Amino acid sequence: MKPFDFYAPTTVDEALELMHKYQDSVSVIAGGTDLVLELNEYKATPAVVIDLKKIKELNYIRVEDGVFRIGAMATHASLAADQAVKEKVRILHDATRQVGSPQIRNLGTIGGNIAQSSVAGDGLAACVTLNADVTLRSVRGTRTMSINDFLAGEGAQKRNILAADELLTEISFPVPDTKHTATAFYKLAKRKSLAISVIGGGMVVTVDDNGVCTHASMRGGALGRYPMHFADCEALLVGKKLSYAAMLETLPIMHDQILEANRSRPWSVFYKKEGAQGVFKKLFADILGQLGIEEVQE
Amino acid sequence: MNKITVHCTVNHKPVAVEIDPNKRLLDMLREDLNLTSVKEGCSEGECGACTVIFNGEPVTSCCVLAGQAEGADIITLEGVSVDGKPDVVQQAFMDAGAVQCGFCTPGMILTAEALLAKNPAPTEEEVKQAMSGNLCRCTGYAKIVEAVLLAAERARGGV
Repeated sequence: MKPFDFYAPTTVDEALELMHKYQDSVSVIAGGTDLVLELNEYKATPAVVIDLKKIKELNYIRVEDGVFRIGAMATHASLAADQAVKEKVRILHDATRQVGSPQIRNLGTIGGNIAQSSVAGDGLAACVTLNADVTLRSVRGTRTMSINDFLAGEGAQKRNILAADELLTEISFPVPDTKHTATAFYKLAKRKSLAISVIGGGMVVTVDDNGVCTHASMRGGALGRYPMHFADCEALLVGKKLSYAAMLETLPIMHDQILEANRSRPWSVFYKKEGAQGVFKKLFADILGQLGIEEVQE
Repeated sequence: MNKITVHCTVNHKPVAVEIDPNKRLLDMLREDLNLTSVKEGCSEGECGACTVIFNGEPVTSCCVLAGQAEGADIITLEGVSVDGKPDVVQQAFMDAGAVQCGFCTPGMILTAEALLAKNPAPTEEEVKQAMSGNLCRCTGYAKIVEAVLLAAERARGGV
């Protein structure tokens, strides 16, 4: 590791002052499961490292006025163990409980997962499917935006909109009404544990009292630089009475979209398009089961 | 680079270590505190050989900077044995034949200790889940799972 100065502030304001002072020469540690390795391998060579672990005000999972508010330093383990998340937001429960290994889940944080914006970030894919909001803070102020706008921006690291002196502090989204809304995540990987997602599929569906789909969100993590948005599949579902048959009709469109998006990497297309369809069949069955619409036997 | 002093509890004893901040917890434990049961395997959080119990939870010490250990309570294999004698988990690993080359064993035992501290009567599936971040390239996992279940049973007063 290249030498660096180490700071462990205990408040967000203190961290923001340090980030403002050192700008581009700072690396921030949330869980450390990426950064410590990058430091060790000389892939990251900051002059200053700021550890966020001691900032208690960033570590929370709470529901306020119908909104889930999750502090950036909430670990994958704490999200996976949270009863409200398990009951109301299956997509986030199922994404976080399968990240890495127990050891990694004890260290890694949801904020770090989103700020890193890794191709295969499972927490990221889940939050994108939920269309969560993220809150960013710097000494210059606070801004809250949809995670899609966050990913679309070109900030200091070119991965997302985050500026060099800006900290992702919170993830928030409305508490789903589980009578009408079901959420699901399915991770396809080479092993059960200690495996990076080959595909991390996320789905959110809302139906009205007649079982007609009023909202659908379908994303495929690890299929592209950012979780792939199956907008045409979603459009096909909205307005239809939700059923397994109706959901299966989206698969040819998904197939074409993956084929189109991966033209530059033809070797991965065959596997990914087949794999994505398998992943989404699992998600369809999960969603229909949660909404009590249909038992799908596979 | 300014040196930092890390104050923490290691194996039930308070320590203060003056250290360069560009060292990992793994390096601090092995090089500065001579706790060589903590093994470096993959160096990227994938194998679990460097697992230590950090504030009650198993973590891979290759993914933690030394400075992050400030104020932490850390247990390594050296802190598990009682008066120089193997504790119930260590004894069960020996009795079940769950050790072959031994390189993964310290991490395995610490993960098992952390599990049993929270869940004294785990099912086989819970043991497999809890141990899923520790890789063994010698024996396979049957005897390791057996050892953890045996330790749990003995600790509860059975056998």
